[in-house]
Amino acid sequence: MTALSPPPVLAEPVIGRAVRDALPVVLAYAPFGLALGATLSATHLPSWIAWSSSPLLFGGAAQLLAVQMLDAGAGAVLVVLGALVVNARMLLYSAALAPHTAGWRARWRWLGAYLLADPVYALAITRFTGAHTDGPRERLRYFFTVGLVLWPAWLGLTGAGVLLGGVLPTSLRLDLAAPLTFLLLLLPMLTSRPAYAAAVTGGTVAVAASGLPLGLGLLAGAAAGIAVGGWLGGRDG
Amino acid sequence: MAELLTLAVIGLGTYALRAAFLVMAHRAPPARAARLLPYVGPAVLAAIVVPAFVAPHGTIAFAETAPALLAAAAAWLAWRHLKRNLPIALFGGLAVWWIASWAVSAARGLGLGPS
Repeated sequence: MTALSPPPVLAEPVIGRAVRDALPVVLAYAPFGLALGATLSATHLPSWIAWSSSPLLFGGAAQLLAVQMLDAGAGAVLVVLGALVVNARMLLYSAALAPHTAGWRARWRWLGAYLLADPVYALAITRFTGAHTDGPRERLRYFFTVGLVLWPAWLGLTGAGVLLGGVLPTSLRLDLAAPLTFLLLLLPMLTSRPAYAAAVTGGTVAVAASGLPLGLGLLAGAAAGIAVGGWLGGRDG
Repeated sequence: MAELLTLAVIGLGTYALRAAFLVMAHRAPPARAARLLPYVGPAVLAAIVVPAFVAPHGTIAFAETAPALLAAAAAWLAWRHLKRNLPIALFGGLAVWWIASWAVSAARGLGLGPS
């Protein structure tokens, strides 16, 4: 049997590595995905419209904010503004990943942009800036393999949450899954003193302003944190 | 249907944010934006995360806040000391939250602790 088996395909290691890197992330996102699905189905929005935020936005933080604001009756402009502030970090992901995708055909970069959610970025940038010497082809394979594991998983998890929303036992409380997931996204970003200052300021101002309606506390915290980070970063640098 | 349209607009905007530099792979962001970009992630995520732990249901109350902060600390420690293992940090945090919430309500049932 071994004598007749085909020679190992060169692409195998990077694709297998991508799958092995992505599966624990799916596991870690399971509580948040299920909880988000249950939250989506508990709003007054039709379930399929609330769930459509998964393929449309492909990012849990903005989905949670947008659907909760819509459920609370916020105006469309404010909902769009709030969700795009939450997603403004995608600009950073785009800028940081761009040099590593320079060798890709334009169509793959246009398509890859759709998949550039937090965990896809985190896995890709770790791989591309690590000790590996991947060429453009391997990077392309790694990125899209990770994306094509996490994308259906996210649609499936949130969909399962929508369907199970009323069935999950109330003793299985998952409401802290969302902030825990975001905390684990935040921690790897705390790589410098200005970054810590941006986080501490953003968090403190958001708590102080949490009495404001419709996610304005989030906007205030984000603006204050970015300003302090930029000021300290400019001074130190 | 208005809601679907709103979500679609957010989706388009999000796609634009993700595509901005990716589709112009040879162009760097303008200097002023590049200086602020590293702080967008920490500021926005902390502005989401910190209120959710300090005031889980909108108000600061010992029975809600203490277990949530313990869970955050546990997840942070686990992430830091266990090779940044995401599932262990997340499920560890959730487990600490469940146990601490149970302990707080049990102590209250016995008439102990702050109310």
